[in-house]
Amino acid sequence: MWPERGDENTMRRRRSIFDIIREYMEEFERATEEVLSAFEQPSWNLETHSLQPLFNISVTADEVIVTADLPYADPKTLKIESVDENLIEITAKMRVKVRFEDFGVSHREGEFSSFHSRIPLPVPVDASRAKASFRRGILEVRLPRRRGYRIRVE
Amino acid sequence: MCERKLSEAVRIVERREIPANAKMIHGLPDVGLVGVIAVSQIISQLKMVEVAYLDSDLIPPIIVLHNGLPHSPIRIFGQDDLLVLISEIAIPAGFLQPLMRAIVDWMDEKGVETAISLGGIATPNRQNIESPKVFGAGSNELSLKILREKEINIMKRGFLVGSQALILHYCAEKDITAIALLAQSFYNYPDPEAAAAVISALNQIVKVPVNVSELLEKGEEVRLRMRDIMRRTQSELVRMRKSQEYDIPHYYVA
Repeated sequence: MWPERGDENTMRRRRSIFDIIREYMEEFERATEEVLSAFEQPSWNLETHSLQPLFNISVTADEVIVTADLPYADPKTLKIESVDENLIEITAKMRVKVRFEDFGVSHREGEFSSFHSRIPLPVPVDASRAKASFRRGILEVRLPRRRGYRIRVE
Repeated sequence: MCERKLSEAVRIVERREIPANAKMIHGLPDVGLVGVIAVSQIISQLKMVEVAYLDSDLIPPIIVLHNGLPHSPIRIFGQDDLLVLISEIAIPAGFLQPLMRAIVDWMDEKGVETAISLGGIATPNRQNIESPKVFGAGSNELSLKILREKEINIMKRGFLVGSQALILHYCAEKDITAIALLAQSFYNYPDPEAAAAVISALNQIVKVPVNVSELLEKGEEVRLRMRDIMRRTQSELVRMRKSQEYDIPHYYVA
């Protein structure tokens, strides 16, 4: 049965494997560009006087481990908040204020006194049981993964 | 053929006379920016001067301003018979092969005696390591002999990905003595302690009068300054599939 001309829905169902691959690639490229465009932003924010820290996420069978590099952070001011089950927010004040001038940059003005980052989590977690430590300027947050039902093996 | 053409697209422009039989230290962006941090320290403490720079249409259209004047982001500094290669930008993963081929061809032409590439080996529990260990790999028997004499642990098996892998590979082809020194380091955090460890290991092979305690004291400042280049280096590490270094090698093929 050939679809009638102009029947968009039927036409869509008759895509060849190459169309599917092409569409998939296009979608992938769009997603990549989206990620890259988010990346093409400064790592600092003049309005909030904050810097975005470097961070890392690793997922094990039991937990999600988020670390962040926070040089000059004052441990007493560290705040980790669970915004929702997929997002945590890390803030910390710095012990020193840094200005563009300190980096030898004379064509920008502004100073930074804190770190701020919202980190999306790849899998659902139980943030109420999370543990955090701060050693040698690196924050480590361990969030247990949300558990489901146990399936019996017969 | 294609690779050959690409490496010809990389020009190394000499600004001063290059000494014969020099030793050349490489510090290109990679895990923990270990090599870049180490060679920045060497260049600034020894007050080395730019002797050559790299120019290519294959890298992004970028220059670095120093005192208002433009410079290539990838440069070679020198003092007496010591040369140091450094990059101030993350190197696009697709550019590494033509770049390293051009550098090795240039080292061959200039009669560089030994190349020592400084870097890191990403170690997941790095945070719990007080003094990072340093491992070495070489391009030929002579480089392995040097490592053994200096009692530097040799990486016997495993995968290397990136500029250090290529320098060993291309130097092996031309029988240039090359050594890669890799300190245990963070993957995507600038690691001044690993850089200090790798400088100490380097000092056993080539005497470089650099004070590492100064580097350790300003560790926090280094980590803050290196944030942006680390971020960009990280995306190139993903592109070059750096994580293959974690892979366990399969059956032995001698």
